[in-house]
Amino acid sequence: MTADVLISLRNVGKSYATHSGSLAALRNITLDVARGEFVGIVGHSGSGKSTLLNLVSGIDRATTGELFVGGVALHAMREGAMARWRGRSVGIVFQFFQLLPTLTAIENVMLPMDLCARWPARERDQRAQALLGQLGVADQAHKLPATLSGGQQQRVAIARALANEPSVLLADEPTGNLDSRNAAMIFELFASLAEQGHTIMAATHDAGVHRLCSRTVVIGDGEIVEPVASYA
Amino acid sequence: MAIVVGLAGAGAVLDAWSLLRRVTHDEYLSTNPASATLRVDSVDAHLLSAVRAMPAVRDAEARRTVVAGVQLGGAWGTGLLYASNELAKRRIGVILHEEGEWPPADGAFVIERSSVAFSGARTGDSLLVRVGTGAGVRLPVTGIVRDRGLAPGWMDHVVYGFVTPETFARLGAPSSLNELQITVRDRSLDRRGIRAVANEVRALAMRLGHGVSSVDVPVPGRHVHAAQMDSLLMTMGAFGILALCMSGCLVVNLVTAMLTGQLREIGVMKALGARPGQLVTLYLTFALALGVIACAVAIPLAAYAGRAYARFAATMLNFDIDGYAIPRSALALQLVAGLLLPVLAAALPVVRGSRIPVAVLLRDAGIGGVTAPWIQRIRGPRRPLLFSLRNAFRRRWRTAFTLVTLASGGAAFLGALDLRVSIRDSVETLFNVTMRFDLAVHLDSPQDADSVDAAVSHLPGIEIAEEWGSVRAAQADAGELVAPFTVSAIPAGERLMVLPVVRGRWLRDGDAPEIVINTRMLEEQPQLAVNTRVNLTIGGRTAPWTVVGLVASTTPQPAAFATRAAISRVSGSARVTTLLVRARNRDPAAQPALIERVRESLEGAGFAIRSSESSVANRRAIEDHLLMVGAFLLLMAQLTVIVGALALGATMSLAVQERTREIGVLRAIGATPRAIVAMVQAEGLLIAIMSWLIAIPLSLPVSVLLARAFGRIMLPVIPTLVPQGIAVSIWLAVVIVASLIACAWPAGRATRIPTVVAIAYE
Repeated sequence: MTADVLISLRNVGKSYATHSGSLAALRNITLDVARGEFVGIVGHSGSGKSTLLNLVSGIDRATTGELFVGGVALHAMREGAMARWRGRSVGIVFQFFQLLPTLTAIENVMLPMDLCARWPARERDQRAQALLGQLGVADQAHKLPATLSGGQQQRVAIARALANEPSVLLADEPTGNLDSRNAAMIFELFASLAEQGHTIMAATHDAGVHRLCSRTVVIGDGEIVEPVASYA
Repeated sequence: MAIVVGLAGAGAVLDAWSLLRRVTHDEYLSTNPASATLRVDSVDAHLLSAVRAMPAVRDAEARRTVVAGVQLGGAWGTGLLYASNELAKRRIGVILHEEGEWPPADGAFVIERSSVAFSGARTGDSLLVRVGTGAGVRLPVTGIVRDRGLAPGWMDHVVYGFVTPETFARLGAPSSLNELQITVRDRSLDRRGIRAVANEVRALAMRLGHGVSSVDVPVPGRHVHAAQMDSLLMTMGAFGILALCMSGCLVVNLVTAMLTGQLREIGVMKALGARPGQLVTLYLTFALALGVIACAVAIPLAAYAGRAYARFAATMLNFDIDGYAIPRSALALQLVAGLLLPVLAAALPVVRGSRIPVAVLLRDAGIGGVTAPWIQRIRGPRRPLLFSLRNAFRRRWRTAFTLVTLASGGAAFLGALDLRVSIRDSVETLFNVTMRFDLAVHLDSPQDADSVDAAVSHLPGIEIAEEWGSVRAAQADAGELVAPFTVSAIPAGERLMVLPVVRGRWLRDGDAPEIVINTRMLEEQPQLAVNTRVNLTIGGRTAPWTVVGLVASTTPQPAAFATRAAISRVSGSARVTTLLVRARNRDPAAQPALIERVRESLEGAGFAIRSSESSVANRRAIEDHLLMVGAFLLLMAQLTVIVGALALGATMSLAVQERTREIGVLRAIGATPRAIVAMVQAEGLLIAIMSWLIAIPLSLPVSVLLARAFGRIMLPVIPTLVPQGIAVSIWLAVVIVASLIACAWPAGRATRIPTVVAIAYE
């Protein structure tokens, strides 16, 4: 693994126990993602895209293998430490935005800052304003999510994901609930963030994402189907 | 659980009431209580047979009651001794034999069961008993009986005993029988009708040459403590109904949340063709099933608790609960309530839910849906706390129901706590402000006031001594004596009893024919309003009297007062029967010695003493009863608090369940398990503290109602119009602890769901 590699998976597998036996959602995933890459994870429904992102974010735990993000061994971390690490190191963008409905846009962006206490309290409002401005929704700062359009909500969600300047940005079907115009806008945003040095992994059905990604990884039936460039 | 607690609480009260109702009515009637009691100079066989021959009289028996001194632990206590021919075969006021000898032999003492613990004497022991100035005779206790017509001896601090007329003679008391007890043939007669029959008996006795000094007609068919028990049961019943209503609110919340959690399923069913009516039937059937399960648990629980409470309450009436079968009507009522409550509570949310369009039900909008804009006005420095604060108001109706439930419990709790304080204050007022004497000595017969005063005025340690009398008065109505009552004859310049004047004024020194009555008397005899003139017969002489004042009642008993001079002027005699003494040394420890000195001095002067009592002992007895009842009320209030806490726990559980996905998101963006727990607990605490604020003003009418109901039980209680600071603080601590406990499980649950599962939750 070179010094540029930020995310490294070695023979990672994830299985779930079901009534009819063990179900392998991911099998023998070996993957490296370099710092500043914008990687698109493409595959059909049930291929394991979301599972892969959940493992990288620490939301779920691998059954087998090793997983390193920013040099931290996620497979060996406890739950409480995982939450703290995730708040500081990973930004997550969900398909359905998942903004907290009782907080305004800017309050949603400040929430991760409060949880991780990375920035002094007096700076958080300003930082949140700046992030919303960067994403073109500064004028929506004091509105509740229910009053925003889908595209606006997703941009607020991206601002929230960037609140603690994470080293990794993970997006699970970020455009799945958007029209094509907004979807294109979101992926262009990701490309722009990648150019600014953010490392991004985005799972999507949208095969057109490959035009904006530095690399596309195709997953089928829990395995990487197409060869990828490895930095080992 | 919510239905079970509410139903069990209300059911326990209903069961207890049903059992006690049977006791206070059916079992009391089984003792064949006297319809009327006439005090006659002596009841001989001729009089007895003549009375029995009267058409309106079903039966008549004679007895004598003597007030005696009974030595208890070195001091003289009060004993009430009953003697009759053929005690064991009494038909009026049937006495039940429990152990040992019955009837007593000459020279023996059979004790009433409720006096055993108080006296410390059982079968095989002995009691030193004296009547008047005698030295006392030691009587062996040869048996124990139960007289259900008497108030418990431990409650009134009286030793009840049964002896033969011969034993009276050995004690130096008259052995002739002087109480004529009758039962009327027509059992449907009311009190007025019975009094008419009693007056006929009185007239007959007088024609046969007997003197009749009093005619007492109790409320027919009612135990002497029945009114108190009804007040207590009504108060308990109010708590039970409150708990049931609170459970209803809780069920509404539960059903609403359950439906919310199943909106997708309802949408799918509607998409497949289910009609609203079918859905309503489905969910109401489910609610009915909940009711069935709740009844299966709650009804037996209620029966168990109800029996326990009935057993406790029955001891206050000197009854046993014979037969613990709960009446079918009570069981049926609980079953109907238990089945209907969840169905009625579920009806509105189910009907509403069934009308939501399919498209809305099936749409997945991620977290949350629409939030009311006003919620933004709730501000806070930190987003996690702000999230909790605003979450508390997301489901306004649910929060409102929870607040109502918890605040109701709080109001009941505060009311019960305030009542305890009111009881203590009222007792303090009674014994320090109203009743300003330290001991009362009751003479065996009316005596000249100056002679009594001369016997004690020289005694060291006495600050004030007052001689009070009492006479029987009755209103003269068309030649008949109706509504007799006792009038206390007070000395000039009396200072030892200060009763709060409600209307009119207190008595003035002098011999004007004026009386003052208490509020209890006015309730029983409303014709004695202030400024009315009534014809009263006292000592056989009828004269017009004016009611000049109304005073507050310090006991549940009706009372009237007039000056000794006025009574003397009207009746020709104003002898005294009671000596009230205020000691120089107010130390309670010094009272027994003073009582002994007073008794010795009076007896040395030739005055026979019927009984004596110290204020300290009286106060202790009253406080024991009141605080026992107050403690039980507090227990009932705690039940409402438990239901309130359950409501809060259920609300927070529902909130956590509904916000599973939000909680998953919070954990995904960096919230630690501790942070999640803190958010859930903060939301619960906010609701708890809001309920605390609401409960404070809500407790004021509760305090007033409790004080009113309680005042009928033993002692009129001044309601607390300002909640006690300590009670408010206790309630705050209770509600905070209840909130932390109630929210602990949902808060823990929020952290136990794996983040990946929470995010995927639908």
